[in-house]
Amino acid sequence: MLAAALVLALPACGEGFGGGPVPQQTGPAALRVLISSSGEAETRAVTAAAQQWAAAEGHTVTVIPAQDIAQQLGQALAGSDPPDVFYVDAARFADYAAVGALEPYAERLPAAGDFYPALRQAFTYQNRFYCAPKDFATLALQVNGRLWARAGLGAADVPRDWAGLRTAASRVKAVGIVPLVLDSSFDRVGAFMLQAGGWPVSDDGTRATADSPQNRQALEYVQGLLRDGLARYPQQVDTGWAGEAFGRGMTAMTIEGNWIRGALAADYPGLAYTVHELPAGPAGPGTLSFTTCWGISARSRFKAQAVGFVEAMTTADAQLAFARAYGVMPSLVSARQAYLREFPADEPFLAGADYARGPVNAPHMDRVMSDFDSQLARLAVADPAVMLRRLQRNITAALER
Amino acid sequence: MGRGGVRRPEAVAGWLFVAPMVAVLGVFLLLPIGMALWVSLTGWNGQGSPFQPGVPFVGARNYTQLFLQEGLTRDHFMISIRNNLYYVAAAVPAQTVLALGLALVVDRRWLRGRTFFRSAYYFPSVTSSVAISVVFLFLFANSGAVNALLAYLGIDGPQWFADPRGLIHLALGGLGLADPDAPPAALADHGLFGLSWWEWLAGPSVAMTTIIMLVVWTTAGTFMLIFLAALQDVPPQLREAALVDGANAWQRLRHVTLPMLRPALFLVVTLGLIGTWQVFDQIYVMSQGAPANTTLTPAYLSYRTAFGDFEYGTGAAISFVLFLIIVASTLLQRWLMRERDGSAPRRRWWQRMRRTS
Amino acid sequence: MTGRERHGTGARLRRMLAYAVLILFALVFLYPFVIQTATAFKTEPDAAAHPLSPIPDPVTTEAFAQVFGGTGFPLWVVNSLAVTLLITAGRVFLDSLAGYALARLPFRGRGAITAMVLAVMAVPGVVLLIPKFLVLNQLGLYDTYTALVLPLIVDAAGVFIMRQFFLSVPPSLEEAARMDGAGVFRTYWSVILPMARPALITLTILSFQSSWNEFPHTVVAVQDPALYTLPRGIANLVAGSLGAGTQYPLKLAAALLATIPVAIIFIVFQRYFVRGAAEGASKE
Repeated sequence: MLAAALVLALPACGEGFGGGPVPQQTGPAALRVLISSSGEAETRAVTAAAQQWAAAEGHTVTVIPAQDIAQQLGQALAGSDPPDVFYVDAARFADYAAVGALEPYAERLPAAGDFYPALRQAFTYQNRFYCAPKDFATLALQVNGRLWARAGLGAADVPRDWAGLRTAASRVKAVGIVPLVLDSSFDRVGAFMLQAGGWPVSDDGTRATADSPQNRQALEYVQGLLRDGLARYPQQVDTGWAGEAFGRGMTAMTIEGNWIRGALAADYPGLAYTVHELPAGPAGPGTLSFTTCWGISARSRFKAQAVGFVEAMTTADAQLAFARAYGVMPSLVSARQAYLREFPADEPFLAGADYARGPVNAPHMDRVMSDFDSQLARLAVADPAVMLRRLQRNITAALER
Repeated sequence: MGRGGVRRPEAVAGWLFVAPMVAVLGVFLLLPIGMALWVSLTGWNGQGSPFQPGVPFVGARNYTQLFLQEGLTRDHFMISIRNNLYYVAAAVPAQTVLALGLALVVDRRWLRGRTFFRSAYYFPSVTSSVAISVVFLFLFANSGAVNALLAYLGIDGPQWFADPRGLIHLALGGLGLADPDAPPAALADHGLFGLSWWEWLAGPSVAMTTIIMLVVWTTAGTFMLIFLAALQDVPPQLREAALVDGANAWQRLRHVTLPMLRPALFLVVTLGLIGTWQVFDQIYVMSQGAPANTTLTPAYLSYRTAFGDFEYGTGAAISFVLFLIIVASTLLQRWLMRERDGSAPRRRWWQRMRRTS
Repeated sequence: MTGRERHGTGARLRRMLAYAVLILFALVFLYPFVIQTATAFKTEPDAAAHPLSPIPDPVTTEAFAQVFGGTGFPLWVVNSLAVTLLITAGRVFLDSLAGYALARLPFRGRGAITAMVLAVMAVPGVVLLIPKFLVLNQLGLYDTYTALVLPLIVDAAGVFIMRQFFLSVPPSLEEAARMDGAGVFRTYWSVILPMARPALITLTILSFQSSWNEFPHTVVAVQDPALYTLPRGIANLVAGSLGAGTQYPLKLAAALLATIPVAIIFIVFQRYFVRGAAEGASKE
């Protein structure tokens, strides 16, 4: 019958698709660049830089701002027609690397050694450095000057370690002010794990180490802050994120990344606050870094040209221009001094680069960490040991896939 | 065409007439089901074609891990099943009763403005699910219309879309029967398919409730029309006869109208079941499964697992299981609502209950 | 309840109660659209401060300016119109063609194909998301206009509605035409179709409405923003910013504009919508 014939005939015509190396084209290229923009400013800055490069080198570049980059990219990869260059968030990097979607070009870049080690690590999968970090941000402690003074605290009281944080928070609480508002996710609480000497996975990313005593100590410390009213989650003070609570003057301290500067300047101009490195824990200082790389598709026809594009986007000058446009820090060690000259107030953020750690770098972690986030939302009443056992189980399962 | 007898050209024309339909339905409905069945047996990761050599064949593993293997895949799948069960259990009766009630009132012969009311109730059904979801996002926003209305009544409305607490948990907590933060060990320490009984018994979350309200609101109109069409078929003599017998309104509804509406009721419940198990658009637009996975449904999970996590095999397996669930629930409904003669034991049981109450 | 409803005050009271209930529900069903329309003309602070108010203060068309200037809206409208018109035209022609053949033309395999149509109608659409993506991808159609249109150009329910309609038409007319020596397609085109006008209008309206509103198919058929239709564009405008009180006038204005064409058709062709729902009911 006709239908049956059609059904049988069709799979055959699809057989030409799929794997195999992609023939490379030299000369002028038409690059498609998919970005997940933080806002208008970033889209404009990246588009302008891309056009400038394209005009100078004789290529064309189309910058496509994605609404939901994970979904758009997932379908494009499965559709065998991905963009040539795309942003890869460090939290999802291993997923893309593990399925062979990314070209490991970064290790061959002349500037490969100039990227901060923590950022290189964030984009290394099975000992290969895949893609060039675009820029980065770290977590630091923000202190509201007015509320700090109202609690009778001075510059010397800014906490430098866990004990200091508790002491200062207690004194703030004593005058009826919420001491600390903290987002209820691993992206904040993870910093305490580092400070305690723990981390959910081993350094080589092959073993789950979630149920370690260090991690437990970290969760118990944060739990103590929450239980004693020394820290609150944003939802508890009826705000969408910690930056909002801080901007509205509802809390004396918060822990956020570089992005809070732009947000506060835009929404709460005139707020007087200072930025400090995060208090150190029993194992020393620790903070989290957030970064994105310029991924190049393994199926691009213009890999050489795409590498040229990425090199142009990651020079110190280009990155400083991006920093001015939308408030991120350059990923190159060699751009450090130039950046500090322009943004001296960002010293605490930049200092974190030396002891920061990126997201958990292993495939299939997205679900695992979002499950952990939903556990963390109940940290005040839950048993940290149970939470960590669950995390251990989930990471182990994900790594075994 | 023309002269060679009547039957032959008609047969050829018949095939020609249905050919485009057969081609489109075959290629875009039947063939893909076969392809997805294959993908559900593989570990294809979304790179290149799933039919190239080298795609790992994993047999039934994608299916067994949904039920038997401890882990997040099963956790999320079971959570999505739980969410959708509550969604179906709340939405289907609500939309059916509301539609039936509206139809009975709109059907009154003395009613003026019937066309207006009928159209008013039906209008939400014809609009885009995406556009309506946007409206509901605004209505139920923290500072939205619903909370403003509640504030008039002196009620401090919840943060609808951010509230993962289950309604049954809330009710138990409110009545002092159980503490949601320290659930009774009997329920919390045992469970089924990796989800504790306490989790199974959560009820729809506050966030899910908004989506339930949305779907009841958008479907009641359609179902009302189905009931109205059926009501037109109730012979007026029958009602009048009942009136003469001195039956009161409830008795007439119970013994005259409802039996006549049985086929329509059956249809509405079937359509309701099929529709509510498939909820996708509203989840995609309004919540993406948040907060805390309490609006995750199998349809959305299958999509997210495939396109977000690159686990196409698991995603396809979830959609086949969902298919079986839909088939099973309509069969179950068919069995529960089957025509029974008066001697069926279950019916007598119901009647006894009625008489004693 | 006394059962004496034909007597005076009790009946009047009950009627007033019925009207009260009906009006209350009319408010429940329609007021959200009033709020939507009003909010589209509000400023953002006004929308946040007075979410219930049906009167914007001040009235502003800023949101609409943003919709047309700051989003892909104009493109989505063009895509939606093109896709909807193609699908509707295809469905009206192909569904009625197939429906006629299944009702009237005796050919081998007719029973099997009718069964296939019924089976396809029973397959829940959402289950087909991944399968549809796979086949579009395999055929190299993924992320094209064709992918948006072709899979939807025939729908089993429409075929079935037309089949039922043709079954109800007495065969005497076409027999007369056939006597005059007209071929099968001629008879269909110039005798049968004109007669089928009411059913065709119903089918046109149902097709227009469902393809204009179609969302899940576009999610798995395309990802290039240049191919977004209105529902897809609006969904992306909204998704990911849940609960945040931002840009509601903009989002509601976009949703309002997307609703208007269907609303107009609904008001003009109301009775066909009602008939459509009844036809849908006779499916089982």
